[in-house]
This record gives sequence, C-alpha cells and structure tokens, in this order.
Amino acid sequence: MDEQEKKPKEDKGQGMALPNISRRNFLKGMGTTAIATSITLSPLSLPSIADAAPPPAVRETWIQLTVNDKTHRLKVKSHWTLQDVLRKQLGLTGTKKFCDRGSCGACTVMMDGKAVYACSRLAVEADKRKILTIEGLLQGGKLHPIQEAFLEHDGLQCGFCTSGQIMSVKAILDKNPRPTREEIMEGLSGNLCRCSAYPKILKSAMAAAKRG
Amino acid sequence: MAKELTIVGKRHPKIDGGERVSGKAEYASDITLPGMLYGKILRSPHPHAKIIKIDAEKAKALPGVKAVLTAKDIADFPWYQTPGRSHHDMPLLVDIARFTGDDVAVVAAVDEDTAQEALDLIQVGYQILPFVLDPEEALKPAAPKIHPKGNLAGEKPAVLNRGNIEKGFQEADLIYEGRYTTPMLQHVTAEPRVCVARWNRGKLTVWDSLAYTFAPQATLAHIFKIPMSKVRIICDFMGGSFGDKNMTERYTVLASILSMKTGQPVRIEFDREESFLATTHRYPMVCYLKYGAKKDGTLTAIQAKVIADMGAYRHLAGASGIMETMKCVYRCPNLKAEGYDVYTNKPEGGFMRCVGHPQGQVAQEIHMDIMAEKLGIDPVAFRLKNHARLEDGDQDTKAPFSSNGMEECIRKGAEAFGWTQRWQKPGASQGPIKKGLGMAIHSCRHGAMVLPSTGTVKLNSDGTVNLFVGTVDIGASQKSTMAMIAAEELGVPLDAVSVTSADTEMTLDSGSSGGSKQTIGSGTAVKLAAADAKTQLLEIAAREFKTGKENLVIKSGSIYPSGSDKGMKIADVLKKAPATITGRGTAALPKGVVTYCFAAHFIEVEVDTLTGKVRLLKLVAAHDVGKAINLLGAENQVDGGAIQGMGFGLTEDQITDKATGICVNPNLVDYKLLTMKDIPEIQPLFIEPIDPVGPFGAKGLGEPPYSVPAPAIANAIYNAIGVRFTDLPLNIRSILEGRSTGSKA
Repeated sequence: MDEQEKKPKEDKGQGMALPNISRRNFLKGMGTTAIATSITLSPLSLPSIADAAPPPAVRETWIQLTVNDKTHRLKVKSHWTLQDVLRKQLGLTGTKKFCDRGSCGACTVMMDGKAVYACSRLAVEADKRKILTIEGLLQGGKLHPIQEAFLEHDGLQCGFCTSGQIMSVKAILDKNPRPTREEIMEGLSGNLCRCSAYPKILKSAMAAAKRG
Repeated sequence: MAKELTIVGKRHPKIDGGERVSGKAEYASDITLPGMLYGKILRSPHPHAKIIKIDAEKAKALPGVKAVLTAKDIADFPWYQTPGRSHHDMPLLVDIARFTGDDVAVVAAVDEDTAQEALDLIQVGYQILPFVLDPEEALKPAAPKIHPKGNLAGEKPAVLNRGNIEKGFQEADLIYEGRYTTPMLQHVTAEPRVCVARWNRGKLTVWDSLAYTFAPQATLAHIFKIPMSKVRIICDFMGGSFGDKNMTERYTVLASILSMKTGQPVRIEFDREESFLATTHRYPMVCYLKYGAKKDGTLTAIQAKVIADMGAYRHLAGASGIMETMKCVYRCPNLKAEGYDVYTNKPEGGFMRCVGHPQGQVAQEIHMDIMAEKLGIDPVAFRLKNHARLEDGDQDTKAPFSSNGMEECIRKGAEAFGWTQRWQKPGASQGPIKKGLGMAIHSCRHGAMVLPSTGTVKLNSDGTVNLFVGTVDIGASQKSTMAMIAAEELGVPLDAVSVTSADTEMTLDSGSSGGSKQTIGSGTAVKLAAADAKTQLLEIAAREFKTGKENLVIKSGSIYPSGSDKGMKIADVLKKAPATITGRGTAALPKGVVTYCFAAHFIEVEVDTLTGKVRLLKLVAAHDVGKAINLLGAENQVDGGAIQGMGFGLTEDQITDKATGICVNPNLVDYKLLTMKDIPEIQPLFIEPIDPVGPFGAKGLGEPPYSVPAPAIANAIYNAIGVRFTDLPLNIRSILEGRSTGSKA
C-alpha cells in the first residue's frame, strides 16, 4: 500500500550513500516506527488540486461519513486517515494530531459509539459510520457537562490533548456512568498529556461522572 | 495596609478554557490559508557526512512541486548572526550534515503527499565522515572534528571561582567525589514545531507555535532586510513549549523564504519523528563533583566539572546552566566549577524546562544525600544546615535575595510528609517489595524579572477592558494570570477583561514565555498599565463626585467615594471621558536584590526488587511562589512540572545508537512518557513570603517543579533498597542491573 515501498531502490555508489533515501524508508529500515501501519506513514493533503496527480498505487474513492449528525459525501484517497479527513476536508480541527501513530490518544473520536484513534483508522474504514467529534459535544454552543467539568477543574494546560481526553471520558461514561477512580485511570491511560495535568484531568473526569 | 484581594489568590478556571475544551481554540497547526503550500524538509540519514552532490531536477519536475531549495540556493547565509535566534553556528541548510536529521533541502508543494514524494526524488551523494557521540570522547584530540575550531564550543570552558577551593578542602572532615550522568530528553510538545508563513505584497505574516513571537519578527526583518513593521508574528494558542519553540528556528525562516519564492502561503509542520530527530533537547550531562564538609555538616568546598553534550550546534544554553545550581542552592565560601559545552554528532541541545538545573540537581542532590549519610546527619537537617539564606543571595555579586522561603519549604514539606516519624535508615524495608523515602531541594533564578516586560490596557465605553500583552500563553495560563492581575488592579470583574497576546502587531514586546518570568515580569507591567488607566478613570470620577481621587474606591465595576454605597458604574464614568482611556506599564529591573524561586520535594517510592519496577506513592511538593496568583493554575503547574520531572527520573531517554549514530526511539511508544496510571498522589504546598518585587508579591513557578523529583526519587530508591544510582534514567533495566552490581557509593 505504501508507495514508498514499491519504488525500485537505486544502486548506491561506493563510499556514498544512497541518492534515494527517503526519511521514511530510512526510519523504517531502522525499525523505529514500531507500531505504525505502513498506511498512516503517509501524511495527508488537501484533495482535488488539479496539478497533483496521485501516485499509481493511490486510489480515490467516495465515502459517506456522518459526523456530528451531519452526513457528508467525500472523495478520499485510499491511504488517508479519518483524522486527516476530519481536520482537512471537514475543517473540524478540534481533533488534534499529536503523534499520528496511535500512541497518544489526542485524536480520539467516537465511531459508532466506540472510542477510536482517528489517526489509526483509514477514512475508507469509516464509510457509512457515525462519527462524534469534540465539536459535536456542544449543544447550541453550550458546553457539554464533561467539557464544563474540565473547564471548572482546570483539567488541562495547553489544551492540545484535551479533545481526546474529553472524548475518552465520554466513551467511559457512556459505557459506565458511575466509574471508580481506578476505572477512569484505566480508561484514560491511553491519553497522553505532556503538560501532565493528570491530577486535574482525573478530578474533572470524576466530577463529570457525578454530574452525568 | 494592603487592600483585600478579591481575584488574585483565588481559584479561577482559564479565561480561554471554553475555547480549549470545545475544540474551538485555533492553534498554529490549525491554520490553513487559500493556496497554501506544504513545505517539507529533507533530513540527513547520516550523523556526519559531507554532501558532495545534490540533484533536485527530478523533484523540481514533479507536478505540484513549486520550489526546491538546497544549501547552494542560499549559500553563505548567516542567519544565525541575526537577533532573536537561539544558535550560534547552525546553517539553514547544510553542506556538511552534523547529525542524523540535519536539514539538507526543503521543498514546497501543493499537498503533503507531493511534498513527500519530491523529497524522495532529491538525489544526494554523501561522503560519510567519522562521527562521535560521547562528549568525553569528543574532547579527545583524535576525535572527529565537527566544527573547524574543534569540539569544545567557544574553545574554552566556562569557569566559576569563589574563595579558595584548596582551603575549603583543608577545612573539611569529609571530602566526597562522585560522577553523575543524565540522558537526552525530548520536550514532546503535543503541538509540534509548525508555522504558516505568508509573504504578501511586501508584508510577511507568520502564524507560529512559538513561545516568543518577537524573536522571529526581529530575525526575519533582519534577514530579509524588510522593516520590522512589515513582519507580523502571531501565536494565539500554543500546544506546549517546555523550552522548545522559544526563538527563531530554521523551519520558520525556510517557510518564509519558500513563501517569498512562490508567492503563496507555506506551511511547515514537523511530524513526531522529526520532533525527536531535529529539534532541541535537554542536553545530556556528565558531571564530576567533589564537595567538602565539616563534621557538623557545614559545607566548606564545592568543586564541579560539568560536561554538557550540546550536539551538533552551539545553543545559547549549555554547561553554565548546569553550574548555576552548584553556585546558588547552597551557601559555601569556596567554589570552583568548570563547564564544557561539547559538540557531538547529535541534534542540538537547547532550552528545556528549568534549563540545565534539573541535570545539575540530579548530581548535586544525590551527592548531598550521600554526604549526609556519610556524616551521619539526617538528609533534611543537612539541607537546612547548608541552604543559601535570604542574606546570602547571589554569593558572588553579594546581592541578597528579594525573598527566600527555602527554610519554610523544607520544614513545612517535611512536616506534611511526616518525614521525621516515617524516615528509616536505608535498606530497613523488609520483603521483596521495599518502600523508601527521599527528598531534594532546589532553588534557581527562574521566576525572576527579565526585561522587556510591557503591557497596555484599554477601557471600553461599556466598562469592559482589553488587555494587550506580548506574552505567549504556552499552556501555563499566562492569559488568565494577566487578566486576573488587571482585573484585581482595576477593580473590575474578571470576565470584563479580554486578553490579546503575543501578536507582534497588536502588543508590545514582553519577552519570551520561558524562564518562568511572565508572572513577575509581564504581570508587573500589566499591573502598572491597569494602575495607569485606573488613575485616569478616577480623575474623571473625582470631578463627578467633586472629591479627590484618593477618596475613591473601585469595587465590582463601580466607583464609590470612600464609605459611601452610592457609586457610579465605570461605564457611566467613561461616558464623561474626552477620549478612550488607555494605560501603559513597563516593568523595571529591581535594584540591589536577586529574585529566586525555592522548593523542597519529599517522595515515597516502592521498589519491586524482583521485577525492577518502581512505583511512586506520594509526593509533597513545597514551593515558594511569593504569592500564588491563581491557586488552580499554580497547582496545575506543580503537578505538571513534577510529573515531567518524574519521567526524567524514571523512564525518559532518547537513545542514539552507538554503531550508527541514529536515534532508535523517536516515537511515543519507545520514548516513555508517564501516563495517568504512573503518577503518585501529589500534594502541592505553597509558601508565600510575598516577594517585594513581583505583582501582589508573586514570583514565577513554571520551571522549578521539574528540577526536584528526579534526585528525590533516586534518593528514595537508595533508601528503599540500599543501592545508589547515579546515572539516569532509573528504569527497570537500571534497577535490575544496579541490584546485581551493588551500590556505587
């Protein structure tokens, strides 16, 4: 699937390294992209720009995506992720790109009621699915009780991982409206916060559970 | 008698928290512009190599590619000799790659796929050069030279001398020497380095995730020979800094050049791997300490040799930052310290939270713990005996501290932790899972006033307030802190204040949001600006009430004559103003004193001697903050700083493979950050001596919490299992290996 793999490797001259080392292949060669799929290694682009022909291995297809109760018909490339479609095609930038490798949780959204990492789902996988993003939690511009709890208890610092934290709390509470402290910690352990506002994130989540 | 505070010192949610929790906050990484191109940087796959050939023709011919730049397109371009940059000797694009990830070429294309494909089509011939990774090896004469003048940056060490070091050792009953090391650490800001640059009819606008927008304004104007008035840098929301993204870096300059070349806006955004391979990091340290003390515990001599592994280019930061901790934390009449900034074939070292001090404190606080034990003195008592006092201040310039809460931090922290009742001799814990207690203290100049610090307020005719301040809110609630200070000073409700920050066209230069200096610096400026506006407002009100302005008070948005409950709304007073009231404030450096922050941490750990797993149980973190402006935000800073510091102690380690010179863990799976499940209960304690310099008595807070936990953890692990660790991180492997080889001390 990754077009980089399919390119013929050029012969290397002596004492000189490879004319055609892409950073990506080179990293892969070093075994440094441990859990990434080959597909998410290709970052995304804006669609339908006339003079950018897709490489031969990339196919385009139409998908139907219901996001925050609005249904969209979208033309996507086969290697695009749900994260990229949300951010770039639909302009829903509340879903953040932090690691882009399924290891931080910042892009957590709900797909058919289940929390998923939007960077680790292909857009084509989301065809005919219902997606809920952080923007969809707002009701007529009013904050959702979980968002209220994060605001009130300062469950954030820079806010870049916050959408993912809140969506994970939503998924936890949807499944279990009265979670214990340990259950919340388990449920949020896939959401990194580099500012490390963890104590207040936990407090916010506990408060949201009480409100719900 | 100070006026009672109604806003400052209370718990307030972030004023922009609603935008952050709703996903509506607009970060630089969220900006897209019509016609925007995507820039990508080709990085060296070799730690040290001369580029003997670059052929970019195929890349240029690829449909959708708008520009390709290599070193020869921008030859001899000394951007690092301009103001606002952080490096001394880093070319924009290299003809000799000095670390794996060094910038070789850059492309701009209509989308990211095309840009990536173009990078793959650039053919580079490298002549491989020998490389060196270890800073002590790099100092040897036979080591590969990374820069023409050798691998000692600046060609000579930084030196500190105080008193007579030989005399200090002669007076000592105990002389102890040790060697300590810390690894390379990454900031891992959630938002990576990212900017969008737009050159439009002679004006350059850049949206950048940057803790100091005025730095690139100066750099870019200087480089491109355009007036500063035609360069605008904006950073409204920022996804973390921790010291990176602090000054002008290569990507911002490259995006600007590409926009000028193509006439289209250009975005460059680092991916996560690039964020490890090609940004600054906490520079690794090798540190040799030799301290002397009398039987009663009095320190008589501090001698240090510090080797800072600064990577491929010389940054403003370095060994001198590490040495500051040896200079300032303890009172000692005799000091000798040497610091070596060493080039290695690794990414460039740079600012990271509490620059240099966490490394220095790992060495010093473990060293002090060992000495306390050898002297038979309790670790807390040993710190109480030797910490620098209010009158000591800067022991070299003799300027006293403006305030000093260290003793209170140590005493109150120990009391809250139950140190005296609970502390046992090392190795007393029984069974395979052993508990231990450890502590460390810290003080540093972070949190002091640094200029420039300016602020402006505008009173609107409806009584609301616009506050303009150059400060970037990097995620540490700077906007909220400034709004609280303005609201308190003006006597208006907090929600009446709206903050515009860090836009070089709308605000005045308030310095970088680094060094924990915004609360004290810009906070002072904002307080003065609010006071200036208030004076003008009260002059108008005084005419209305036919009294002197000194007889008026402002409460909750209305003005009252003293003792009267018949007031006038600010909005009604403003209707009488001949023009919009604006206030301006500029902070000045205090004379004759130095402002320092102080902290003491106490931690309990549990070590599973069978698995090597360390569990953190409880942290008491006592901090002298002068005065906490926002208790909620202050707690958050202590939590966050301390947790990052725990990661420094236990898990974080950016590893460069010795055989290839390549980083092997540039991702969040293999570079281990702590998660919610790894952290202990944290009890922040605020010591508030009310500093005479800062606004409402406040000092900074952002950095010191980082510097204390790692050595406290190392000391607690020793207390639990009786094995002394001097090389970070203390991960499972270190613990198990240490258990089998035994104590070094």
